[in-house]
Amino acid sequence: MIVNLGPQHPSTHGVFRMVVVLDGETIVDLKPVFGYLHRNHEKIGERCTWLQIMPFTDRLDYISSMSNNFGYALAVERLMGIKPPERAEYIRVMMAELTRIVSHLVSIGFLLNDLGAYFTPVLYALEERELILDIFEAVSGSRMMCNYFRFGGVARDLPEGVLEKVKDLVFERLPRKIDELDRYLTRNEIVRVRTEGVGVLTAEQAIALSATGPVLRASGVPYDIRRADPYSIYDRFEFDVAVRYHGDVYDRYLLRLDEIRQSIRILKQVLKDLPEGPVQVGKPQWQVRVPAGESYGRVEGPKGELGYYIVSNGKPNPWRYHVRAPSFINLTSLAQMARGGKVADVVVILGSIDIVLGEVDR
Amino acid sequence: MNGLGIIRGLWVTFKHFILTYIEDIRAGKKRYYTQEGILARTRSDVRGAFTIQYPEEKYPVPEEFRYIPFLVYEEGENREKNYRCTSCGICAKVCPPQCIWIVRTTDPNTGKPIPAPAEFYIDVDICMNCGLCAEYCPFDAIKMDHDYEIASYNRFADHIFNKERLGKPLSYYAQIRPQNFAREEAARKAELEAKAARKPAAT
Ligand code: SF4
Ligand code: SF4
Repeated sequence: MIVNLGPQHPSTHGVFRMVVVLDGETIVDLKPVFGYLHRNHEKIGERCTWLQIMPFTDRLDYISSMSNNFGYALAVERLMGIKPPERAEYIRVMMAELTRIVSHLVSIGFLLNDLGAYFTPVLYALEERELILDIFEAVSGSRMMCNYFRFGGVARDLPEGVLEKVKDLVFERLPRKIDELDRYLTRNEIVRVRTEGVGVLTAEQAIALSATGPVLRASGVPYDIRRADPYSIYDRFEFDVAVRYHGDVYDRYLLRLDEIRQSIRILKQVLKDLPEGPVQVGKPQWQVRVPAGESYGRVEGPKGELGYYIVSNGKPNPWRYHVRAPSFINLTSLAQMARGGKVADVVVILGSIDIVLGEVDR
Repeated sequence: MNGLGIIRGLWVTFKHFILTYIEDIRAGKKRYYTQEGILARTRSDVRGAFTIQYPEEKYPVPEEFRYIPFLVYEEGENREKNYRCTSCGICAKVCPPQCIWIVRTTDPNTGKPIPAPAEFYIDVDICMNCGLCAEYCPFDAIKMDHDYEIASYNRFADHIFNKERLGKPLSYYAQIRPQNFAREEAARKAELEAKAARKPAAT
């Protein structure tokens, strides 16, 4: 029997369709169908000037706009051959790690939603997210569409009081709340029965499907771009690459909790050494000159390797602009994970990959 | 033991539930519908309920908050509006979704352009509130607003803002963004003084 899950279905995190071939309740095959949210991101990028793409990158993975900005800024800076000042680097890392916490919290929360724990866990997770978004709003002006990074720095310095808020969160509230979430969910028997051994992806399969991010690391491959190809100033910080070995939904959940703890660790170091100084090299320009050439900038986004490939021919806009979207590529492993499982689990498996349709479809 | 994990987990929810009541009793009437209560519920050491009852209560926005842009004008002696905008067109060029439309003023006698906009439109349904126009305007003439309640029923009549609808006085700007305003005024003054200092030296 063939069942269509979606495109309009609360469990699919957006407009996304899964064509599931069933034998009784067992999944024989699964085909993801997407493109419902396609909005021509890459082609619009080729029409826009370099700077104008920045706000559009926010709209890829709208949960973690700061990381998206980061990757694009890196790609263009590499081509322009500029380096942001120290303070800007620290602020960037701070924002990227806060974004990772936000994204993982949302993912954990909604995973529980997919399991049927309707809205209580997710709202606990969203409380922390709201407080972090307050910080984003104060520095960048917007809660989700931050548009904060510029080539050679960030748009503006941290306003008064923001640093205190971050410190308060990082040192006081977040560790306590993450522990609470841990206590609340991790040993819950229902969660364990529903997730342990479900949606298994082995290390070989994960590599063969070029999965990245939490999906890859939960399968036992400690690959993190922050360590494998350190960008910005990540080589200065002490942190562990979280890794888990079973490759099932439960491990992906645990891995995200681990990563939040590591992010808090990085944030503590950032706050300790944050230097004074300018946040942008040179004068802010609305029309940057990017020399001809090509470059690839990649960051370890919350969902995996987020890469921007740009080709410039010296004109005010890119000749080619391509995004390697982690959600999109991780989604290819969905069929592998779901095959042989029960149809009731496919929603949870999808939730554990943590896709954002804005990024899948672009 | 089976079920222990569930009980431990539910204890967390139960504590949250009780805390809300304790806080409500402790803070009394102050907790809801007062500025103080709203602030208390948005701090990171909040206990109990976290939510804001919009629209009765409103969350205070930070200074950098950005919504639709507005055009700054300085009020002249007879309350006439002197827009700072010189219709240079940078904002229209930098705008990613291209939602700004400017018509330049031309001198009716000579046909030469005058640095002031005759018409200035922003299609606010297309504007994505990115703030680039305000960031790169060289004359501090366009700024991002804080007023986010602009919903209406008619897209074409009400959501294409013209110059009149976009214009807001300088005092309003100073009120919603005091720190930015102070910084810009200081820079302007310094520039004027530098100019004044240069002039006598040249003559
Ligand atoms: S608002 Fe500023 S950038 Fe736009 S046309 Fe007027 S002066 Fe130029
Ligand atoms: S805020 Fe952005 S989208 Fe809106 S008018 Fe300004 S530049 Fe255009």
